[in-house]
Formats: sequence, structure tokens, C-alpha cells
Amino acid sequence: MSKALLEVKNLSMHYDTMEGNVDAVKNISFEVNSGESFGLVGESGCGKTSVAMTLLQLQPDNSVITQGSIKLDGKELIGLSENDLRKVRWDSISIVFQGAMNAWNPVIKIGEQIREAMREHYPENTKQENMNKIIELFRMVGLDESTTDRYPHELSGGMKQRAVIALALSCDPKIIIADEPTTALDVVIQDQILNEIKKVQDLLGLSLIYISHDIAVIAEMTDKIAVMYAGSIVEMGPTKDVFKNPIHSYTRALLDSTPSIRGEKKKLKSLDGEPPSLINKIEGCSFAPRCPNRDTECNPSEHMRLVEVNPDHFADICSQGK
Amino acid sequence: MLIYTVKRFFEMIIVFFLFLIISYLLFNAIPGNAFSSLLLNPLLPPETYQRTIELFGLDKPLFERVQLYIINFFKGDFGYSYIYYPRSPIEVIAERLPRTLMLFSIVNVIAFYSGFLVGKVLAWRRGSKSETWITIGSVFSYTVFYPWFALMMLWFFGYKMNWFPLGKFLVPEKWYDSPYSSDEIFYTLILFTTIGSFLLFLVFIFTRNIESLENRRNARIVGLLFLLVLASIYWSNGEASLKRFYAADIAFHMILPTFTVTLVAFAGTALLTRTTMMEVLKDDYILTARAKGLSQKRIRDRHAARTALLPVVTSFIFTIITIIDGSVLTESIFSWPGMGQLILEAVTREDIPLAMASFSFIGILALIAHFIADVSYAFLDPRIRVKADS
Repeated sequence: MSKALLEVKNLSMHYDTMEGNVDAVKNISFEVNSGESFGLVGESGCGKTSVAMTLLQLQPDNSVITQGSIKLDGKELIGLSENDLRKVRWDSISIVFQGAMNAWNPVIKIGEQIREAMREHYPENTKQENMNKIIELFRMVGLDESTTDRYPHELSGGMKQRAVIALALSCDPKIIIADEPTTALDVVIQDQILNEIKKVQDLLGLSLIYISHDIAVIAEMTDKIAVMYAGSIVEMGPTKDVFKNPIHSYTRALLDSTPSIRGEKKKLKSLDGEPPSLINKIEGCSFAPRCPNRDTECNPSEHMRLVEVNPDHFADICSQGK
Repeated sequence: MLIYTVKRFFEMIIVFFLFLIISYLLFNAIPGNAFSSLLLNPLLPPETYQRTIELFGLDKPLFERVQLYIINFFKGDFGYSYIYYPRSPIEVIAERLPRTLMLFSIVNVIAFYSGFLVGKVLAWRRGSKSETWITIGSVFSYTVFYPWFALMMLWFFGYKMNWFPLGKFLVPEKWYDSPYSSDEIFYTLILFTTIGSFLLFLVFIFTRNIESLENRRNARIVGLLFLLVLASIYWSNGEASLKRFYAADIAFHMILPTFTVTLVAFAGTALLTRTTMMEVLKDDYILTARAKGLSQKRIRDRHAARTALLPVVTSFIFTIITIIDGSVLTESIFSWPGMGQLILEAVTREDIPLAMASFSFIGILALIAHFIADVSYAFLDPRIRVKADS
């Protein structure tokens, strides 16, 4: 196997708040190879976005990274100075944010906002070169070239999201993080945007980290998937394997709550209870209080720990008893 | 954009008519029939007596008098000033207005710009020690009792330290054998400032399209230096080199009032900029800008401050008006012979034609300021532009 493009190891991060520490990311490790798409799925508030922000080192000021490393192409990102980080951002990793509506500055033209990033990373480019590139990208995501001269409020939600994708591609990044890029859009547009992302990814051979709470979308988009619960990864493996043979109780609950087009009709199951507040220190298995199988053979006092169950397929130790 | 501007213009004209009528009615309501007080002067020549009655329609009912007043206004006929008798109010105002405009437009520009700059940095350095102290200082100068503060400044810098003159706008001894009147020098100064600012504006417009940020900055610095060289060439050649001495005298007298009013006026802008910008900094596009790898300075200036500018401009419109009002205080304290002093004099000595004429001029100025602010607001915020056009 070739060396991973992005390598996250034992990453832990918490937010320092008035009420105490919020453990948003707990001991997370994963790898993304070049050209691969990696999915991160989980409930709202389970720390998906915190992971994304930490990858770009854009986490809020009150966050503390307690351990771990993020290596991009063998280069450590944690602890880099702001100036060195600036060179990495967008040039190597770019991000498509949740809610494209607010990702654009309302008083600057779309084209200028994209060119601004290019100016920063390719200072020697002429205006014409930059413009050509933007128009090419716009064509790729299905936007008219006149969009460069528009202000954000003149665009529809879908157009803004397409433009955001073009923006994310403008500096030829190696990895794109897509953080719920379709949440604010209707289903038809959602599908178009997903196809657009996929097309672009194949075309340019990018790595993609796709973050979503929608397991169906993840199934469609990714090669590899990690399921997150309460700040930890509970199961990780090739998407096909995880869907066919889910090991962890939470993964199974997640899959049971999603309707399937094929196969027999069955009643959708929902999970009782709420995800735990991350502000309280959780001893042992964080999923145990909601776990439908908790009274079987597993041991709730055991800390979560990933174990390789099949080749490349990891799951939390809690489910090992079965 | 054009439709918007035209619409605003017509609205402005309606407001101006209302303003004329209301101000006439207010003067009419002054007890003791102020309009006819001139007629009580026994030294008044009979033909002037007749002309005053005719001009103001003093023997006609109120409605016709208002009509007459508006017609006279557009003819530019305000009669005679009672205090400065044979001169007309227009002549007196033409002499005083440039002095006020010069002083207060400079104050306004400096106060707005420095306030915006300080507020921007304050919001960016939120939580630091310097931020706390500067904010406390700004709150002090925002809330200080202005006449007391102005007198203290005058006492300290004018009397105690003896750095600046105590009031007046020139030293009369220097002007005894001057070939120029102070008005001429004033016009030269105003012309110079206006052309200078316009050229500076042009430099910024023309360097806008330079793609590389570094080249753009350098081009602007070169442009600025070039303008400075031009200015020094202008003042050391031809007629201007003779005027230089007198212009410097006036400029020297302007420093202390400018500084004092700026200190008071800038704080409001600074505090408002700080608040709005702190709101803007929470917005998502700031995060996008950071993720794009832009420099801190660029995020602050181009993304945060640019958007925070909008409410600050709105508040600036209102400051313009209060600064014209405030000129009464400032000009009295620094004995600056401008519009503020003129209004005070005209009102206290019941010089109705002069008072009405100067009020109308201030009204016009205020309306023009509003108009410019409205149009520039549409220019600054593309979202308003669209609404305005539809």
C-alpha cells in the first residue's frame, strides 16, 4: 500500500468552556490515501465538524489539542505557525463548508473572492490567467462564466454551492473536505451537487473527506467510511464492508434507521435516548446507555478501542464479545 | 443605480420645500414680530423701509408671505442683513461658509477615518490590554462634556504649553501689508485640498486592477509620494509661493480646533466600528477567508472591516449634521469666524434675514450630505443597489 496522503493519529481535542471541558474529538486515527474518498458519518454534535476544523487548524480559540498528530504528505500540521499554515490551507487542503449561503462575503463579487485566494497562493499569476482558470472551473461545476461578475445575493443556493466547490478547487488542493455541503439544499439540487463533487473528484484525482449525517449519501460517495459517536470513531472500514457487515451496534442502528430501495419492506427503527453531552467525562463505553444490545455479552465499563475485525475493517472493542 | 439616485434627488427636493416652509413659520412665531424689527430703526432710509415691506410682504396675510419667501429664496433675494447693513446675507455667508466648510470637512474626514481605523484594530485585538485602555479612552471622549473639554484643550495647549494660538483664524499683524485677503487664501486652500483628495482618489481607482497585492501597495505608495512632490512644487512656485506664508498661518490656527473636535468626534465612530466588526467576525465568510489562507491583515481589512463599514457610514450621516450644529460651540470657543458664530450672532441680535439665509444654507448642506451618504451607501452595499433598482 502506498503511503497515506493524510494521516491522523490519536487526535484528541476539547473545547475549554465556562462549564468545563467539552471533549469533542477523542483519540481519533484515520488515513486517507490519494485519490480516495473518505466518509465521516455520525449524529449532529458528535464532533464531525470539529475534526474537519482541526484538519485545517481552524478550530476556535477556546479549543485545545491535547494529543495526536495530523500529517499531510508527511508534514506535521499541528504546531505550525499561522504563516506556515496559510500556505497549507487551500493550497493542499481546501474545505466546502456547511451552508454555502454564508460562505460568501455579501459585498464582494464571486470572481473576486475566488481570485483573492489564487492571488495568495499563486502571486505570479496574471489576472487573465486567474480568470481563465475560474471560468474553466465554473464550466466544470456547471456555472455560467458571467457568475464571476455577480454578487452572492444574486445567486440561488445551488449556484452558491457550485461556486463554493469551484472556490475549493481554485488552488489545486490535494484534499477537499466537504462538510455537509448539501444540508441547506433541496433533494434535487443535493443530487446534482453530489454528482458534481464526484465528477470533479474523479476528473482531478483528488482525495475527498466527506462529512455528513446522511449515511445514504456517504454510501454513494465514499470508498472508505468511519462512523463517529460522541467524539470517537466506533467503526471504520471500506464502505462496502461496513454496509454489508456492520459490526458495531451503533452502525447497525444507524443503518436500520435509513430506508432502503431494494430488499423487503421493513419498519424503520429509531434509537432511544440522546447522544451524551460531551461536557461530562464518560467512563467506559459512551454508547452503552443507548445500546440495544447492552445486556448481551459486552462490557460497558471497557473504554472504546478499535480492533481490526476483518482486513482494513476496524470496530470498537465493545462489540467484540459477540 | 441611476433610478435610485434620481428618486432620492426628488425626495430631497420635497424635503427641502418642507424645510423652507417650516423654518419660515418658526421665525414667524418668534414673539414681537421679528420681521419688522428693522423697521423700528429711525435711521432707516425711506426707500429701504419700503423695500423691506415689499420684500417680506409684511402687509400681506401669512400664506402669501410664505409664498413670497419661497419665490425670493429662488431669486436669491434675502434682503439686507440688519447687523451688517448694506451687505446682503448672501455676501456675509459667502465670506463665512468656506471657513466653516474647510475646518469641518477636514475634521469629519479625519475623525471618520481614524475612528474607523481604531475601531477596526480594537475589534481585531479583542481582549488584549491595549484594547481595554483604548476603549475606556474612547468612551471618555465620547461622553465628555464638550465645551469643558474644548476649554481644557485650549487652556493646556494654547495657554500652558503655548504651542498653539488662542483662537482666531489668523494673526492680524502678519496680514497688515498682505496683498491677498484672507478669503482668497481660503479659496486657494480649499481648492488645493479638494484637488489633492481627488487625485489621491484617482490613484486608488487606477491601482485597483493590479493583480499582485504587493505591486498594488507599492504603486499606491509611489502615487502618494508623487502627489506629495506635486504639492511641494505647487507651493514653491509662482503665485502660490507668495500665498504660502499666509496659508501656513491659517493652517497653523486650524490645528488645535481640528484636533479637539476630532478627538470628540472620532470616538463614536471607533466604538460603533468595534461593535459591528465584532459581530461580523463571527460570520462564516470570515472562516472561509481564513481557510483560503489569506493573511490576517487582509481578512481584517477586506472582509471584516469592509462589511462592518455599512452601519458606520449610516451613523456618519447623522454625525455630519451634529457637527454643523456643534460648530456653534466650537467656533464660539475657538473664536473661529464661521457659520456657527454667524448663526449665533444673527439669532441673538434678531437679524432675521441673515438668520434665515444661514439656516437655509445649513439645510441645503445637510440635505446634500444626506444625498451623498445615501448614494454612497448604495455604492457600498450591492444588496441595496438591487433593491433600489427594482
